[in-house]
Amino acid sequence: MKRVAFVSGWLLLLAAGFTLATILGPRAEQWGERRAGGVLQALLGDGRRIFANHFFVQADVYFHSGYYPSVFDRSSAPADTRHLTAAEDHDHVHGHGTTEADDHDHGRGAEEEHEKAMAFLGRPRDWIERFGRHFMITEHTHLQQGKEREMLPWLKLSAELDPQRIETYTVAAYWLRSRLGKVREAEAFLRDGLRHNPTSYELLFELGRLYKENYQDTARALKLWEAALRRWREQESGKQEPNTTVLEQIVIHLARGEESLGHWGPAIEYLELARNVSPNPAVLQAQIEELKRRLEGK
Amino acid sequence: MSSVLALSGVVVKELYRRKDFYVLFVLTALITLLMGSVNFFNDPKIVRYLKDICLLLIWVSSLVIAIGTTARQIPAERENRTIFPLLAKPVTRAQVIAGKFLGCWAACGLALLMFYGFFAVISATREAHFPWMQYLQAVGLHWAVLGVVVALTLLGSVLFTAPSSNATICFIVVTGLLLLGRHLNQVALQQSEPLRSLVYGIYFAVPHLEWFDLRDFVIYGHSAVPWIDWLLAWLYAGVYTVALLFAAWLIFRRKPLNQ
Amino acid sequence: MDPILETKDLRVEYRAGAGRKEAVRRLNLRVGAGEVFGFLGPNGAGKTTTMNVLLGFLPPTGGAAYLFGVDVRQPIARQRIGYLPELTYYYKFLTAEELLRFYAKIFGIPRRVADERIDALLKLVELEHARKRPIKGYSKGMQQRVGLAQALINDPDLLILDEPTSGLDPLGRMKVREIIQRLKNEGKTVFFSSHELGEVETICDRVGIIHQGQLQVEGRVADLLQEHHANLEQIFLKIIGYQPETMAGVP
Repeated sequence: MKRVAFVSGWLLLLAAGFTLATILGPRAEQWGERRAGGVLQALLGDGRRIFANHFFVQADVYFHSGYYPSVFDRSSAPADTRHLTAAEDHDHVHGHGTTEADDHDHGRGAEEEHEKAMAFLGRPRDWIERFGRHFMITEHTHLQQGKEREMLPWLKLSAELDPQRIETYTVAAYWLRSRLGKVREAEAFLRDGLRHNPTSYELLFELGRLYKENYQDTARALKLWEAALRRWREQESGKQEPNTTVLEQIVIHLARGEESLGHWGPAIEYLELARNVSPNPAVLQAQIEELKRRLEGK
Repeated sequence: MSSVLALSGVVVKELYRRKDFYVLFVLTALITLLMGSVNFFNDPKIVRYLKDICLLLIWVSSLVIAIGTTARQIPAERENRTIFPLLAKPVTRAQVIAGKFLGCWAACGLALLMFYGFFAVISATREAHFPWMQYLQAVGLHWAVLGVVVALTLLGSVLFTAPSSNATICFIVVTGLLLLGRHLNQVALQQSEPLRSLVYGIYFAVPHLEWFDLRDFVIYGHSAVPWIDWLLAWLYAGVYTVALLFAAWLIFRRKPLNQ
Repeated sequence: MDPILETKDLRVEYRAGAGRKEAVRRLNLRVGAGEVFGFLGPNGAGKTTTMNVLLGFLPPTGGAAYLFGVDVRQPIARQRIGYLPELTYYYKFLTAEELLRFYAKIFGIPRRVADERIDALLKLVELEHARKRPIKGYSKGMQQRVGLAQALINDPDLLILDEPTSGLDPLGRMKVREIIQRLKNEGKTVFFSSHELGEVETICDRVGIIHQGQLQVEGRVADLLQEHHANLEQIFLKIIGYQPETMAGVP
């Protein structure tokens, strides 16, 4: 009798063990997958996006050396973070589609707009505020002379927490390759972004710029921009309000690339595409005419 | 004065014989060193994030030390009945308040020296320069504000019996003042009367602890605060500290102590 | 001769719920220099409240209390007294030596004098071997002896002891009794409360028995014993209204 009870006890234990294993097995696998996506991701869940956003803003705070509006000053705060790269990047964004004078004016205008937005402090309202300003940063400056590197940890952390945030990769890559001479690191970071966002046309475009501007590899850049254009068409063309700003940049860069290789025909086609979405089509039309003349001359 | 110094000496001894101070220091050092070991794009010159994290941890630790140490002083004296042999000596209650304040404040000062020493070493290993003036100003104002925090907590400890509730309330109040104090006038403007006057009243009445936080100056390498403003801030902190201690004494002097 | 300890019509009232409770009613006490005075009474009689007033922990509701002719509300009144509370709790993170040094500083005793006195007191209470050990590791008896040492740090003229032998083992009690006896021989004034009536009978010159806030009996121990033809315990029980059959014959 005792032996039967002993054997059946063992059998029951075994059955319970197998049942538990079948329940826990898939869960353990899921956990493993989540771990592969990052410990922080697994720990914080969707709340990580809030932290990612905070760290991205922190990078902007660093860019302004601590002079930054609080939530109470938000009404006059910068609405977006394009100024993180835009102030120094007019040549890249607008240079090909506009004249130099236009570009200069546009750059100055954006800078003035940014300055205006950052004048959030206003006149002190009382003696407490007036005296308190001695103990806070009241000067609007931007990082320069290699100090831009100080933003990078926050951008890296932001990307770790929210790998789907494209802007983090593009902003970090911009500073890495254009100011800090870290082209390899910029490329690796962009490729990391692409791994998480394989359909991102912004990342492909940025990677193309890196190949063109830093490696001078126009052929590779053109391939990446073409891929970016394809992705854009797949994702944006069906939309009511597609992102034409990026499209303009992609096609202008494509046009410039083709032009540099002496491929006037494709260059004209890309410029025509850009003209359709550009806020300044006359300038592009003039360039198209010029290219057509060259093509006929050939 | 010798009674006050003797009392403060016991408080300081208590701090360095308890484990919580060391736990906080080790935790701060560990997190800072851990963050310092992270490789961000193969750039060893990146330093500000490390200074930022280290200073944040120092501020949090200092508030925990100041509030935690002070909140338990008088309730522990009563709970452990050490107050009775103490007050049976020629010691006034004002001296007890003063001694406890001085001890807690001195203990905070010692803790700050240790924490900022660590901070200075960490930033010096990464940065080529050592802005001692900014560090001195930052430590000085940090210590001054801890005086206000210690006095506030001491007042709380004669009002509330349980040290835990006093510590929680003080921590919330101090954090609130640090984060929101500067913006209360803006908040007031968005309110309708009589709430506007009330918020304005609070804005003018509360100590503006945010002035004493010079972390941004240290992190971003801005030039030092004018010394006259620094001294005025000390005076401002001194006025609040004395006022809070006076209030604590007013309550404590009439408090019956039953065995 | 001026009394060392004196209360005049001392009254202490407490808030009890909606009303008030009188803990001490018009108490008049006088303890002269060199006397050992036993302050007796059942629990809740008002002994500790009286001591609380004498030590400045509680303000009197009425009347007055004086130590060395100084109102007890003045801290200076406590300059020449030593106090041992019933339950001794001291800063447990300090060693006995550090604790005594701390109290010596409070009295403003010069360091050299304090050093000598600490050595002597630790020898007196037989804690020399444990002087460098934190108090948290002490037994109850050792803590009581540290308490006694701290009460003597200023070489007081008046010692106020609240149940000094309570909770001690027989050996501990004997040691405390010996110390009190020694202090008595040195001419110190001792005012102490105790439930150990045999011990009170042995040590005290005079006793006062308080019941329900009022002083019921006061006088020299020998006179009381003679007057009541009973021992102190029997007198005490009679005063508090306890009448067991065995005491029926006690006048």
